[in-house]
Amino acid sequence: MKSTIFNKIPYLALFLISGAVLFFGMDLFLGSVTIPFKSIINIILGDVNEKESWRIIILEARFPKTIAALLCGAALSVSGLQMQTLFRNPLAGPYILGISSGAGLGVAIFIMGLSFIGISTSDLSIATNSGIVISSILGSFTVLAILLALINRIKDIMTILILGVMIGSIITAIIGIIQYFSQDVQLKSFIMWTMGDLSAVTSNELLILTPIVFVGLIGSFIISKNLNAYLLGEEYAKSLGVNLKRARIIIILITSILTGSITAYCGPIGFIGIVIPHLARMLSNSSDHRILIPLSILLGINVLLIADIISQLPVLEQTLPINSITSLIGIPFIIWIILKNKKITNLN
Amino acid sequence: MSNTLKIAALTIGYNKKSILTNIDIISQKNQLISVFGRNGKGKSTLLKTLSGMLPAITGHFIFNGVDVFNLSEKEKSKLISIVSTTKTDIAGIKVSDFVAFGRYPYTNWLGINKKEDDAEINNAIYLCNIENLCNKDYSELSDGEKQKVNIARAIAQNTPLIILDEPTVHLDLINNIEVLKLLKKLVENHAKTIIFSTHQIEYALQICDEIWLINNDIIATYSPVELINKEKLKELFDDDTISFDKVTGTFKIR
Repeated sequence: MKSTIFNKIPYLALFLISGAVLFFGMDLFLGSVTIPFKSIINIILGDVNEKESWRIIILEARFPKTIAALLCGAALSVSGLQMQTLFRNPLAGPYILGISSGAGLGVAIFIMGLSFIGISTSDLSIATNSGIVISSILGSFTVLAILLALINRIKDIMTILILGVMIGSIITAIIGIIQYFSQDVQLKSFIMWTMGDLSAVTSNELLILTPIVFVGLIGSFIISKNLNAYLLGEEYAKSLGVNLKRARIIIILITSILTGSITAYCGPIGFIGIVIPHLARMLSNSSDHRILIPLSILLGINVLLIADIISQLPVLEQTLPINSITSLIGIPFIIWIILKNKKITNLN
Repeated sequence: MSNTLKIAALTIGYNKKSILTNIDIISQKNQLISVFGRNGKGKSTLLKTLSGMLPAITGHFIFNGVDVFNLSEKEKSKLISIVSTTKTDIAGIKVSDFVAFGRYPYTNWLGINKKEDDAEINNAIYLCNIENLCNKDYSELSDGEKQKVNIARAIAQNTPLIILDEPTVHLDLINNIEVLKLLKKLVENHAKTIIFSTHQIEYALQICDEIWLINNDIIATYSPVELINKEKLKELFDDDTISFDKVTGTFKIR
C-alpha cells in the first residue's frame, strides 16, 4: 500500500539537490571580482597555486558565507516546521515564540550595555564577536526557560503561543528603550546585527556552527515520529503513548539550539521558518515529518542561497541585507497562504 | 480479579473542583458499557479521567489487574485507546496512513510498519468497512466518515479497552446504527471492553450490556432491563410531560 506521495518525493529531492548544487556554485561565482569557475573549484579543493587574492576572496569570504547560507536555510526551516507542528498553528515560528527576540535582547544588552560601563564596541573585534554569540544564545535560552516554565503550568498550547507573542513584544519594547538611551555607534552595530549578515561568519566559527546545526537537524529527524503524532492533537498523541511533557521539551530544545546558534552568528533572518515548511507541505502533499524534515532542509537551502545571490547581484553597488531579501520573498508568500486558505487552522 | 473492571473511591473534576465524588463501580470486562446522563453532569469528565487524559483528583481505576492511573503513557497506550469529541483537522494524510497511527505504540523510532502492523491496520479498515476511503485524503472526508476512520485507528491500536466519547454524535441514522453494531461486534467477537457515552438511551438500552447512569451527582450501574423496570430514567426529568414507555423502550411526550 505505498502511496503516490512516495513516488513523487525522489524526483522532488533530486530536483532540489541539483538546484542546491547549482545555486551553491552561483553563490560562489557571483561577486564584485570575477574568478573563473575552474579556479574556484581548484581553490576549494586546496590548490595553493591559484592567485593569492582569489584564494583569500574564496576561502575567507565567499565559501564561509555560502556554507552559512546553507546552514541557515536548513536550520531555520526545520525550527519553523517543528514550531508549526507543536503549536498546531501555521504561522508559528521561532520569531513568534520570542526565541529570536530573546537572542536580540541578549545582543542589545551586550552591544549597548557595554558602552555604559565605558567599553567601546565600535570595532568588531574577536572579543566583541564572541560576546555577541554568547549573549545571543543566552538570550534565546532565557526565553526558552521562561516558556518551559510556563508550559509546565499551562496545559493549553494556544495560550503558550499567545504568551510567546507577548514575551516577544515585551522584549522588543525593552530593546526599544535600550536603543533610545544608547549612542549612535552602538546603535549602528546593533542595527547592523538585526539586519542579518551571512558574511559575518568566519570559517573558524563555521567549525562550531556546523556541528551544532547538524546535531539539531539529526535530532529533529529522530523525533519525527513524535512530531507526526502531534498532528492528531495532544489528546490523541498522549493516547498513543507520547510523553507530552518530554516531547514538548525536546522539540523546543532542538528549536532553540537551531535558532539560537544561527541567530547568534548571522543575526535574525526572518520568514524562512514560516514559509519553507508550507512550501514543503504544498509540494509533497504530505504532513509526514519523515518527508517534511528532509524536504524543508533542501528547500531552505535553495531559498536562502537564492536570497544570498539576489542580495549581491553584480548590478548592485553594495550587498543588500539578507533579512530584507527573505522578508521581500517571504511576506507576499505568507499573504498568499492566508488568502488562499481562509480556514488557516486547517493547514497543518 | 483480572476479569473485573473496578473503579474505587474515584473523585473527578477540573482544577480540584470536583464534579462527581466517590465513584465506586465494580463491573465485568468484555462488555459494552454506555454512560448516560444529562449535559454537564460529568460524562466526558469521567471518560477523560478513565482514559488518563485528565488526572483523577483521588481514587483508582483497576483494569486487567493494574491501576491504570499508575501507568506511564506508553504502557497505557497498549491498554486503552480513545475516540474523543475533539476534531482533528489535518490535511496531507491518506486515510490508510491515518489508521496506521494506531500502530504508533508498537512501531520503531521511525514508525516503520512491520507485517503484523499492516495486518492490524487492514483488519481495522475491514471491520469499519472503510476500504473505499483508504486512498482519500483525511481532510476530504465527511464528519461521519472521519468518525469511522477514527474508530478504525483506535481498533488498529489493538487495546483491550476502548473508550469513546459520544461516538455517534455527528452521524446520520445509518452510520449511527452501523457504528453501534460495530461496537457490539468488537465486544462479542474480539473480546474488547468498550465504554462510550451517548445521549441515545433508546439505542443503548437495546445493545448495551450495562448502563452507567449519572443522576443527581451520583453514578450507578444497571443492566438495561433493571434500568427500565426500576423506572430510573423517569427520575432524570422533574417534568410530568415526558414519560418512558417500558414496552417500547422509548420516551413519550404528552
